[in-house]
Amino acid sequence: MARLTLVLVLAYGGLMLGAGYWQVLRADDLSRDPTDAGMIAAARSTVRGRILDRDGRVLATSRRDSTGEPYRVYTDASVSAPLGYASRLYGSAGLEAAYASELLGAGGDDPASRALAKFRPRGERGDDLRTSLSLTLQRLAVRLLGTDRGAVVAIDPRTGDVLAMASTPTYDASGIADPATSRAAFAAARDDPGQPLLDRAIQGRYVPGSVFKIVTAIAGLSSGAITPATTFPQQPRAESTGLLVSGYRVRDGHHPFTGTELLDFARATEVSCNIWYALAGLRTGGAGMEEAARRLGFGAPIPFDLPTARSQLTNGGGPLPGGFTDDVELANAAYGQGEVLVTPLEMALVAATVANGGEEPRPRLVTGFVSPSGAVRDVSRGTLARVLSSDDAAAITLAMTQAVEGVDGQRFTTGAQVAGVTVAGKTGTAQLGGAGEPHSWFIGFAPAEAPTIALAVIVEQGGGGAARAAPLAGDLLRAFFAARP
Amino acid sequence: MIAAELPGFPRPLLRRRELGLLLAVAGTLLLGGLSLGFTRSGSPTLAHPAGLLVYLGALAGVHVALVLAGRRVDEVLLPTVGLLGGIGLLLAERLPQDLVVQQVGPAVLGLASLQLVWLVLALVITGVVAIAVRSDRWFRLYKYTWAASGLGLLALTFVLGRDVNGTRLTLDLGPVSGQPSELLKVILVIFFAAYLAENRVLLADARVRVVGRLTVPPAPYLLPAGLMLALALGIVVIQRDLGAALLFFAVFLCLFYLATGSKVDVALGIGLFLVGFALLALVFPHVRERVATWLDPWSDPLGTGYQTIQALHAFARGGLLGTGLGAGLPAVGGQLPIPAVHTDFPLAALGEELGMAGVLAILGCYLVVVARGLRIAAAAADDVRALLCAGLALVIGVQAAIIAAGNLKLIPLTGITLPFIGYGGSSLLVNGLIVGLLLAFSDRGPVPPAEPRRARRLARAGG
Repeated sequence: MARLTLVLVLAYGGLMLGAGYWQVLRADDLSRDPTDAGMIAAARSTVRGRILDRDGRVLATSRRDSTGEPYRVYTDASVSAPLGYASRLYGSAGLEAAYASELLGAGGDDPASRALAKFRPRGERGDDLRTSLSLTLQRLAVRLLGTDRGAVVAIDPRTGDVLAMASTPTYDASGIADPATSRAAFAAARDDPGQPLLDRAIQGRYVPGSVFKIVTAIAGLSSGAITPATTFPQQPRAESTGLLVSGYRVRDGHHPFTGTELLDFARATEVSCNIWYALAGLRTGGAGMEEAARRLGFGAPIPFDLPTARSQLTNGGGPLPGGFTDDVELANAAYGQGEVLVTPLEMALVAATVANGGEEPRPRLVTGFVSPSGAVRDVSRGTLARVLSSDDAAAITLAMTQAVEGVDGQRFTTGAQVAGVTVAGKTGTAQLGGAGEPHSWFIGFAPAEAPTIALAVIVEQGGGGAARAAPLAGDLLRAFFAARP
Repeated sequence: MIAAELPGFPRPLLRRRELGLLLAVAGTLLLGGLSLGFTRSGSPTLAHPAGLLVYLGALAGVHVALVLAGRRVDEVLLPTVGLLGGIGLLLAERLPQDLVVQQVGPAVLGLASLQLVWLVLALVITGVVAIAVRSDRWFRLYKYTWAASGLGLLALTFVLGRDVNGTRLTLDLGPVSGQPSELLKVILVIFFAAYLAENRVLLADARVRVVGRLTVPPAPYLLPAGLMLALALGIVVIQRDLGAALLFFAVFLCLFYLATGSKVDVALGIGLFLVGFALLALVFPHVRERVATWLDPWSDPLGTGYQTIQALHAFARGGLLGTGLGAGLPAVGGQLPIPAVHTDFPLAALGEELGMAGVLAILGCYLVVVARGLRIAAAAADDVRALLCAGLALVIGVQAAIIAAGNLKLIPLTGITLPFIGYGGSSLLVNGLIVGLLLAFSDRGPVPPAEPRRARRLARAGG
């Protein structure tokens, strides 16, 4: 009898632990999920808080329909990618989904005060969301991308504040939120071959091409495999015929103006020498490349306000250290081909890391909440990791500055220069195989001596880096420094 | 003095402990009603005062009847069960009344009114049985008759029954309809208790070697119990009432262990159950679906996994202290998040509105019921009565655990009711019967006469 009682007590103890699991441990993520019935019900009665840009300009606000139920209105389509939408029919996406509980006034407090929430009257309005976005820069980025598909991410490297996060084509989020046009607007966005519902800035994975050389430089310098003075004696001879790696030829296009010059790190970066970087990558080795990429955030979602895709160095599973299949893949990866895939946000963070003296800032979109009563709750900022030493960061900054401002560098980065501001940067021309135009890339930051903005630009099939991305970045930087000297 | 000792005129016996606990229960339930009323109307009013007062009146009535009857029976069971039933009544009042609607004569009754009717009838059964049942002779003498009648009842349901929600559980006999498998659990406990008590020595000692040191009881003595169990299981399985099958098996194993003390047999039994369950899953697609839904409800969040997910969300919304009665279960477009909340997910609803604190309290109440039942069993005069009481208490405790575990996604969900709380007439009446039997069997006999006054004085003088 005593044993049986014990078994029963244990069974009931298990039930109580089960209740604790769902009601305490999982309480937050289940009850604040946008699909939760409580959240859906709240969305129909509570007026969502506004979403504001860094200067307090309204990005999203609410109106009431004829029945009194609130619905969402967005300032314009340029913010559709980061803000997403909140719709009665189609749920929510973007910041509207990620911060649903705060926007609906349901959460954000500490667990103790939320447990006592039933004794407080429920608010009619949710919290306002303060974001780090600059509506001016965001609109400009979308306008500059124009009819092309692509993405722009601009970050303040000192704080991780995301100043602009554009993805084109955009879509009509106001149309999806408005009950009168919801179905048609959603169907139009869903069926658009340009896939506007995909936030390319954080969910798009692209071949990086030469902008990835900055990652190789970080890996080589921080592992000690290379120094700024490193030269490769076999490099000049290989320029005209190509560098033979295990039967594969790595080719370059800059020998018409460099001839037989022996390139060091800065010169190789300025003229974007594939052969020098292939040799640097081989010397650093797969393990060293993989280690640096991992420190930068490859292989895992980036800690961010919105869900991000993983950037990758290899497909993984290869026999060589770091998961490479063979030396050919490693040599190709070193200048951004091979199996390397990156998100625009990741590449903006690479630029921001160098700009911030080697410390990678944690990117953030939401900087604070303002309750209807006016109480402000700030979101703390932070860093992700110390990726490389400040000396190495300074060496890379110098090389990237030469790539934009140098005589030979300007051949590759035409249009990225800003009068009165030293710009550091690197272009990329990502070959996709087949006959299509390559992706046009640019990453960089400015002013080089004390950076206040770092960015990544990709224009899908926009041609060479100098063709689309570099001038686009120049236009953005000029506008940015014209507004904030 | 003389009148009180005549049969039929028992001396009333105050039940102070029961009265105190009942007052606490009444206070709790009135507070719950106030809280529900406040949530509804925004002012401190009692929600549906008549229903709650009728229920409390019925509880008081049973208490008074027990006092007048003068039997020395358990004083904790009635208040505990009364609290659970009251919580069920509050939940029924809180839910939309059109979840269940029945025409009774000229009146059309909604969920709370029906639940109240069944609760009062169950309390009447409890009181009558607790006072009237004086002997367990009927149960021990006619065990095979009981068994046969139970199986007959079930077979009748299978042949004549009506399909509700794809399971054939309901039997209509003229104006009365019910779920015989509810009654079957009492009948099976009676049969098992009588049978196991009679054969316990043989089952425990006359062992037959199987392999190595592994022995089992001799087949002839296992056969009647095994056959009975297999028949019962077979029928519930065909009727797709998997919760009842699990309940019968678990209670049988517990009783077997109590009777023989053989851990090996219990382990074998659990093994047999698992093998049987695996076979069922192989044969029946609906069993496979249940298991798949249990393992990953999120693979079909709007289909088979919908109710399970919604129940987990309800628990999560409740958190530690809950949203308060009436403030949970957010309706979207007039629809409750959990459609079958009153029958299959009452614990999820209470978990949301009363929080984890409420869930722990409710589970604690069931443990108290089982503990009291096992205590009554331990004090019983002989094996039959001990096994009978233990079995009756276990039926309630195990049934509550199975449906609670199903709600909490600890085991696959089954469609049995949460005793005393879930909606269902048959279930309430049978549970009322069980409590009545436990009360009757807890009788500690007449009050021993007080020591003569003179003897005491002498003792004091001598000491």
